[in-house]
Amino acid sequence: MAWITKNSATMQIDRRDEPYLTAEIKADFEQRMFPRYPTKQACTIPLLHAIQDLHNWLPYQAIEEAAEFLELPASTVLDTATFYEEFFLEPRGRYTIWVCQSVSCEIMGHNKLVEKLSEKLGIGPHETTDDGRFTLMNVECIGACGGAPCALVNHKLHENLTADNVEQILDGLE
Amino acid sequence: MPLEQPILLTNIPTPPWGDFADRKTLSYADYTKAGGYAALEQAVGMAPKDILEVVKAAELRGRGGAGFPAGMKWSFLPPQDGGQRFLAINCDESEPATFKDQVLTEFDPHIVIEGIAICMIACQLDTAYYYIRGEYHHHREIFENAIREAYDNGVFGEGSRIGKVNDRWPNLYLQRGAGAYICGEETALLESLEGKRGWPRIKPPFPAVAGAFGRPTIINNVETLATVPPVLTHGADWFKSFGKGRPEGAPPNVPASFGTKLFGVSGPVKRPGVYEEHLGVTLKTLVEDYGQGMLPGKNYKAAFHGGISMGILDTDEYEAEMDFDIGKKYNNLGLGTACPTIIPHDVSMVAMARNCARFYSHESCGQCTPCREGGNWLYKILTRIEQGDGTMKDLDMLLEIASSMGSMPGTTICGLADGANWAVRTIVNKFWSEFEDAVSKERFVSISAVG
Repeated sequence: MAWITKNSATMQIDRRDEPYLTAEIKADFEQRMFPRYPTKQACTIPLLHAIQDLHNWLPYQAIEEAAEFLELPASTVLDTATFYEEFFLEPRGRYTIWVCQSVSCEIMGHNKLVEKLSEKLGIGPHETTDDGRFTLMNVECIGACGGAPCALVNHKLHENLTADNVEQILDGLE
Repeated sequence: MPLEQPILLTNIPTPPWGDFADRKTLSYADYTKAGGYAALEQAVGMAPKDILEVVKAAELRGRGGAGFPAGMKWSFLPPQDGGQRFLAINCDESEPATFKDQVLTEFDPHIVIEGIAICMIACQLDTAYYYIRGEYHHHREIFENAIREAYDNGVFGEGSRIGKVNDRWPNLYLQRGAGAYICGEETALLESLEGKRGWPRIKPPFPAVAGAFGRPTIINNVETLATVPPVLTHGADWFKSFGKGRPEGAPPNVPASFGTKLFGVSGPVKRPGVYEEHLGVTLKTLVEDYGQGMLPGKNYKAAFHGGISMGILDTDEYEAEMDFDIGKKYNNLGLGTACPTIIPHDVSMVAMARNCARFYSHESCGQCTPCREGGNWLYKILTRIEQGDGTMKDLDMLLEIASSMGSMPGTTICGLADGANWAVRTIVNKFWSEFEDAVSKERFVSISAVG
């Protein structure tokens, strides 16, 4: 639910000395991305993606660094980050499994898939395994209805899933 | 009469002309060899006004869902004033059951890029942003590569062969979304492009006047733009020989359904996939000829004919013609994205309604109260009915809540809640008996003691 945000007024932020926003990302954005848009704010989403691709999630410190880099208040960047489902403000597993639960997938048996995954991983939807390997997500349509039921494992799309072949896919991951 | 030759899928093997298994991404060289970028050469030699006239004369209607005439949209742009003007291409495609734009993006990206370039010339737009949904990882990489090829071959960038547009060198950039259905709404897409949360804007001002970064902006669907090159090559009359004209006796200001359309058939059919046919093809043809019929043991009960927002087709509406008139004829919101999902006889309609309600309560951006709260209540009530705890009163409440939310009843900014409204309302109305069976008919009298 994109519109539920956390109360961050009294929150302690974990900090580390090494910045999350690396010099390479900064250089790339200054050279390649800033000229694309009339405002620096427009780079918010690409920048958050770049940071998240590197660290797998978005710590609050990274949001602050991004805000400073884009010359915006940190609250503005946090506002954007909390709206989108793809941005994780908490650590997640190395593999995120996005199982589609919309109409085509429900008709073609998404329930069995989630049951199987939950049973195998020992977690429910929107939870992460204790060893930090897997995060299971129930999401709305991921745009592969022709191959329903389908799921994304990180960036890779798997179609026509069954309880059997989903097990194989999990076994194939380190 | 079945379509003899595909228009949009010329280079993408599709039954009955080819096989899904032979599909592969067309590079710039392959696309040019197949006659691509000829329409762009033609457009470079034409006055922008003349290109606009061709598109207008072809009566090309938007393929993203609303069916707004593209030529008319383009003509809303104010005269040039020296500032930047933008094009935003909507590849957010998050509507459940819809998967047509990804086929163009993945296998024939250059037909889309050619359409984009022609639109930029016709409307004098200097910068284009291709807004692709976050979940399309593979497609994004392919399109990024195609954009690079287009730059290398002088379609965009400094020294572009289409020359300066709006006194600037034309540019096309890819913008990745981050998983929000609402960003497919045109003004929410612009907000997201500006780096903000995807909250739809109050209109007017319309994007053509003040869109991205406060500048004139045109927003078109991928498929609409991909249709532009063939229209320009062959002319408006050729395009109008496809599809379906106006209903008989309708005045010329009633928009018709000319051209072909991509139909993404999904659900329990033998060969689900994206096909091309005339607008006006029946749902039955799509399922039985293209989809090769239902899976064994499954019978057609109903269909989401164009994404869940458009509502539903009933069991006896199997032969409905898929054109822009479908809404008026079969009592639903419209053609939408024209990607039918078939619901088989053994799936409960209460579950389908609950699935739709969950989708809208999850994807509401939270700006307008009827949508934010109403969506949630629809989901709660439908979950209750599905679990067998519903009463007759719940059904009335469902209809009352559903019909009060949306931009059509005038209670919300954008059309997201209209989707919830029509999806839930048409399912409940068309399958009333199923809902009636699911709730208890007992009457409860509440007795309250005071003091």
